[in-house]
Amino acid sequence: MPIYAPTLPPAPDLHQGHPPALVLMRFDLTRLWRQKIGRFFGFAFLMLLIWKVARIYVDHLLQTNQAFKPMQEFARTILTQGADFQADLLNPASYLLWFLVALVGGGLVARDTLYRVRPLMYAHPVAPRDYLLAKLGFASLLPFVILLPFALLPWLMSLLLAGFHGPVWTTAPLRLLPAMVISSVLMGSLAVGASSMAATPRAGIGWVLGLVLGAGTLASMIHGLTGIKAVDALNPIMLAEAWPQLLVGVEHPMVGWLPALLGTAFHIALWTFVAARRTRPSEAVI
Amino acid sequence: MIAFENLEVRYAATPVPALKGLTLSLERGIVGLLGPNGAGKSTLLKALLGLLTPSQGSGTVLGVALGAPEAARLRARIGYMPEYDALIEDASAYEQVAFWGELSGLAPEASRDRAHEVLYFVGLDEARYRPVSGYSTGMRQRVKLAQALVHSPELIFLDEPTNGLDPDGRCRMLDLVLRVHAELGTGVILASHLLGDVERVADQLVILDQGEIKAAGSMAGLRRALAKRVELRFLDPLDATQEAALSELGTVLEARNGLYDLELTEADPAGAFRWAQARGATLVQVTPRHDRLDEVLLRALHPVAAGV
Repeated sequence: MPIYAPTLPPAPDLHQGHPPALVLMRFDLTRLWRQKIGRFFGFAFLMLLIWKVARIYVDHLLQTNQAFKPMQEFARTILTQGADFQADLLNPASYLLWFLVALVGGGLVARDTLYRVRPLMYAHPVAPRDYLLAKLGFASLLPFVILLPFALLPWLMSLLLAGFHGPVWTTAPLRLLPAMVISSVLMGSLAVGASSMAATPRAGIGWVLGLVLGAGTLASMIHGLTGIKAVDALNPIMLAEAWPQLLVGVEHPMVGWLPALLGTAFHIALWTFVAARRTRPSEAVI
Repeated sequence: MIAFENLEVRYAATPVPALKGLTLSLERGIVGLLGPNGAGKSTLLKALLGLLTPSQGSGTVLGVALGAPEAARLRARIGYMPEYDALIEDASAYEQVAFWGELSGLAPEASRDRAHEVLYFVGLDEARYRPVSGYSTGMRQRVKLAQALVHSPELIFLDEPTNGLDPDGRCRMLDLVLRVHAELGTGVILASHLLGDVERVADQLVILDQGEIKAAGSMAGLRRALAKRVELRFLDPLDATQEAALSELGTVLEARNGLYDLELTEADPAGAFRWAQARGATLVQVTPRHDRLDEVLLRALHPVAAGV
């Protein structure tokens, strides 16, 4: 037998809280925390980060310690150097990051569809643009936050060990941060667009992976048939890899500046449009 | 509380309007919204929540015009309890009620405090930290009511709040609805297929069908009208002349095996005995038909079939 309160006092003042988009993002973060997928990915990304930072130290040792002099040439032949090395700071995490984005982003909208809570959100002072902004923001912030230490920690380490002449350029963050923003928004918009087409979180993961791998396969096929390299800019994985390279001044073997710009704009616009259409209040069944 | 005039709502995909020329004014109280599936109840709720823009006509909810730019802020003054399970299954009742409170504009700390209070109010004090996936139907309905009340709305829309509840659970839910109005002063729009629920709590009634209002008025007015409904039982069957003369008492709604359902012209059953004495018939029983709200609904929805 439930016990009821004698009465309900009036609620505190409204309009004191955070913007709806921020509330939605925080709730998604709570959900992500509950999924407990951080252990595997946390370990994997930490290992990659340790490798990146350790390389800076090894490079420092090779430069400063005479005992390692014979190894210097050998190291140069097997490890990326100069501009390639700057771009490479972000690249090894690419596939793993796409997988994480699919795992988390695939359920962002689909989970609300499954639980049918989106109409209820719109029955609150939440506009469709708030909802879309929250989902895109969360899905884009996730890869950005993960990539951030990859851009900043090796740079800091390099500055501390070797000053302005270290293996990581002093201006590297200025080039890598915009690349991270572009790649993160690309990943976020694709994940949210795919998730909006799914009815369950698992289907959402499938949609994201299907779209990412499918677009890549399609681009490769068209490239193979027509011989036009620029078509590879339809491949989201390649785009995410190309941006750090383009911004540090390395010529990407497949994707140039213009195809990269067009391909990225195409994906972001298309999947944001799909997500906006699929999360309209008229799509909501009350 | 709510007023609209010649309100018409269309969905882009269908040529027929979902709501056709609705004109109505509702006072603050508990309004029962009755109608079969597809009648337009949900569309009306969507339009009142500002989620659908009327294609024609105008209206106000809590003094704010429908389709006005401030309609989004109006939703902070309205609570909505949907018919279906709109619950975040992987969250506890406490977490989600606090979340809905924050979405309505409460500060995070205030929202968390408020979630405790409102869950206690709906009788979920003990179970509030458990994930709702393990809740019974009655508990789930109460979580939905709690999220509708968390921000102290001036008006709440309850869509089938007693769906799936056992008789005891129904009584408790309807008691809560009555308390919400009586203690908090909140206006209530209750959409339900269960006439008994509406009859028990509502003080106004709107009957919708095929996007049109078929009947509307206060429950007191309907009850007054129902007070004129009687069933007459005669000792011997009436002859044709006597049957024809029954129209002097009022409208004959149904006649079967010596029983006559009448809507009396005057709310005075004693007049029936005087009529019987004058016509040489022996009237043995006059039964008031106070409990036939379902007939009002049926007559509003199917006037021909109901013999009106």
